[in-house]
Amino acid sequence: MNNDWALKVASLGKIHGITDLRALEDTGPDIGTAKSALTGSIVAAWDVGFEVAPGEALGVIGESGSGKSTVMRCIAGDQSSTAGEVYLRSVDNGRTNVLDLDPSSRRRLRVADLAVVYQDPAEGLRLNVTAGGNIAEALTAAGWRHFGRIRDRAAELLERTEVPLSRMDDLVGTFSGGMRQRVQLAKALANEPPVVLLDEPTTGLDASVAAGVLDLIRNLLEETGVAAVVVSHDFAVIEMLTTRCVVMNHGRIVEAGLTDRLLEDPHHPYSQRLVGAARA
Amino acid sequence: MSTPLLQQVIDRSAPIDDASPADLDVNFGLLDEYSKREIRRAILTAVAVPGYQVPFGSREMPVARGWGSGGLQISLAVVGPDDVVKVIDQGDDEGVNAVNLRRLIVSSTGIPESTTPEDSTLIQTRHRIPEDPLDERHTLILQVPVPEPLRGVERDMRELARMHAEADYARMWVSLYEDKVRNGVITRTTGYPCLVHGRYVIATTPIPRWDVPRLHQSRFLSLFGAGREKRIYAVPPHTDVEPLTFEDVPFEVEITPGAQCRSCGSSESFLVEVPATAAEGGGHWVCSDSDWCRRNRQRQHPSNGVEP
Amino acid sequence: MGYAAARGGLKAIEAAERLVARERVLGDSPWLESKQMIEKLRLAVDRVMGEGGLWDEHLAASALRQAEGDPIEAAHLLRSYRSTLPRLAYTTPVDVDDLVVLRRIVPAFRNPPGPQLLGRTTDYTGRLLDTNDETTQRTTAEKMAAFLEESATTTNGFGDDSEREGDRRPRRLLDLLRDLDAVVDRRRVDDPEPFDITRHAARPPASRSARLATMARAETGALVNVWYRNILGPDGYLHEITLGEVRHGRLPVTVVHPLTGHEISIGEVRVTEVEAIEDLNGIDEDRGRFDVGYGLCFGHNEKKAIAMANLDIACERDRGRSFLEQSILLTTDGLDASGFLEHLKLPHYVTFRSMMERKAAIRQHQDHS
Repeated sequence: MNNDWALKVASLGKIHGITDLRALEDTGPDIGTAKSALTGSIVAAWDVGFEVAPGEALGVIGESGSGKSTVMRCIAGDQSSTAGEVYLRSVDNGRTNVLDLDPSSRRRLRVADLAVVYQDPAEGLRLNVTAGGNIAEALTAAGWRHFGRIRDRAAELLERTEVPLSRMDDLVGTFSGGMRQRVQLAKALANEPPVVLLDEPTTGLDASVAAGVLDLIRNLLEETGVAAVVVSHDFAVIEMLTTRCVVMNHGRIVEAGLTDRLLEDPHHPYSQRLVGAARA
Repeated sequence: MSTPLLQQVIDRSAPIDDASPADLDVNFGLLDEYSKREIRRAILTAVAVPGYQVPFGSREMPVARGWGSGGLQISLAVVGPDDVVKVIDQGDDEGVNAVNLRRLIVSSTGIPESTTPEDSTLIQTRHRIPEDPLDERHTLILQVPVPEPLRGVERDMRELARMHAEADYARMWVSLYEDKVRNGVITRTTGYPCLVHGRYVIATTPIPRWDVPRLHQSRFLSLFGAGREKRIYAVPPHTDVEPLTFEDVPFEVEITPGAQCRSCGSSESFLVEVPATAAEGGGHWVCSDSDWCRRNRQRQHPSNGVEP
Repeated sequence: MGYAAARGGLKAIEAAERLVARERVLGDSPWLESKQMIEKLRLAVDRVMGEGGLWDEHLAASALRQAEGDPIEAAHLLRSYRSTLPRLAYTTPVDVDDLVVLRRIVPAFRNPPGPQLLGRTTDYTGRLLDTNDETTQRTTAEKMAAFLEESATTTNGFGDDSEREGDRRPRRLLDLLRDLDAVVDRRRVDDPEPFDITRHAARPPASRSARLATMARAETGALVNVWYRNILGPDGYLHEITLGEVRHGRLPVTVVHPLTGHEISIGEVRVTEVEAIEDLNGIDEDRGRFDVGYGLCFGHNEKKAIAMANLDIACERDRGRSFLEQSILLTTDGLDASGFLEHLKLPHYVTFRSMMERKAAIRQHQDHS
């Protein structure tokens, strides 16, 4: 891979409990568990690495407990990591490991460098604030101070994410699940971040609603040229949104490659099982 | 800034470990000397970091917390024998709280009191800034009931500390945005949130919006004391104080078209309404700054003397 | 002018003060002696010393008299008096094992080490309002006192059978539990100097000593309410705890003499001390052991010390996850809460005028749209 990446993750690891590296030896896909019998710690993720180019969407697939959400939260800064490096092209032209930044600088990245869309909209939105107000939070954090322009920008974003403008001044808490997810997307894209992380963005939605949101996400990813990481347990989501993906099992990446190829011809037994289950 | 005063504060803030007990003038200014010095150090920090709420070990005062104990501690910590004190509540030297606090300051220091800013050096106030322009000679000491401007959007003090530390005021802006969307106007009344020196957001005590512009690039030092919440903050002279408002939504002060003081006829001062009564008929307006109003009347009718 | 008269001013204040003085000091009944209050209203005096953060029974009694019986107001008088005093010395750390008990109960065991010493308490007496006149009450009391005298010849004069000196300084239950390895060791090295809440603002996250000092000086009712709220109310961070020790007794106070450098005793204070045993059941806790919360306050005030010990351990277990610590540090001080509440009585016509103006602005906007 060349230098053309917006996000680069290398050797990322997270151990819950005491940090004793002997836990690496009795955990992982070959052992069949993430919990070390030796140390009692849980190796939620270890040695995870990938690069994502602008305009590209990378999938992270695995069952719940595979460590995929841990990876996302460590990149986002919601969780501290035990080891590894994360680089953003927009930060110091990709030369600074953002995991080394102090918590305050780390949080500041969330304004315009890195956006997250959570499975639960309550994590990414304030339910007691209007749809427009939620977007205004992202905009004012980035220094917007003109009420009219904030209104216009919020309306534009809601239009793009197909939220009826008549709902702009309603509290997000009164919205349906699908609509909340659309507002969350609008807020995430407000400051045109070069990187977006999406954690199970359609899980929990009705099938028809989920299909609509997926369509929207695909269009947005194409239009904006953002680099995206899509975390999901669902191959249909990964297939629809991503060109490349990694498969995680018990905290480790067991296989990586083009999404089409992986679906056609999975190599690792765990990938085969996942694909088999999805095709069944 | 009253440079002499600030210099006095600095001089009086030095550690006093080497002072013999005989040097402690325990009675002057009521507080013991150690307490005064601690408060002065907090004041110096507040002046050095404009708008930052400096925690301090607020003392119990002979007035209840919420009744100006913070302002009183500042006054008693900075007052010197050459000061002249003016105390107002709601703009009025005769307000019950003002009278009470002035008695305490004067009786514990023996310094003279005045009602005119011209003759005063220390002005302790609840809810107002005097109408007269203040300058380098004056130190304005404001009583603050609620020093935290962000409490309306966040309750957790650890999170509040983080927000101030990172100048993360987005949620404050959201609250103003939501206010404007819901009501068509910004409905904040007194204590309007302001950005000081481009860095910290403060609560401007509950002074009316009318007074807020006078804190901006002022010639005088403003010290804010919150005794109950144990915080002191400051706006030094010649410091930016910008009310948080959107570029296209002008900051509005309290103006009622046509309102005039019934006593002095002013429409250029902060007026408070006297509601209609059955006996007097229609309501009317009077100046909140009673001493300014008195002098305004005098200017117009020098021969009339002063109304009680 | 009606408005000017309503401003109050010096004359009105002075008139109010005269009214108070006349009714409080004069009147038909005799002067209320401090000695009388210290002896007959001892729990009120103790409470005022605790909430006022100053051990002086005579000053507390004076404050209570001046406050016309309002304990919060009395604590305020005491504390603002204290503000004017220079700090001459710090006491040396007290070993609470030196507590000479006047009362001591151990609910956790039937036969604890040392005595169950009920002492002076109404805990086990029917709450029957005595409407008898003074003479009758005196006669009854004299009979009961005579019985005490009689039993003093066979026991030690305290109405109990704790004859040995060791019974006045009993071994504490916690030591026994430690011997049995039944409690976790929570002794810390990161909080060596007690946090001085009179000199610094205690704000979350705070040290344990800051929390304990805040609770020791808290308003009793407020602390009991925070405790109860956490048992029954929406917060719910508390277990019902088993009490290990409830003690009321005398503790010596010592300072280092400024000239000789020797520790000298300068008197004693009465305190209530409580150790509360907490059942650890959290997933990340040592579930094979107990933990212990601690409460200590001036005077005889078991309600406060028990609430304090419960909340101490609750905070420790909560580890800053909830608002519990903030509630304790910020909402339990009687002077803070009542001062802020009472300030609402002050004139607010400037703020109200500003609010009226905004109401008009909102209505105007509504009319236009």
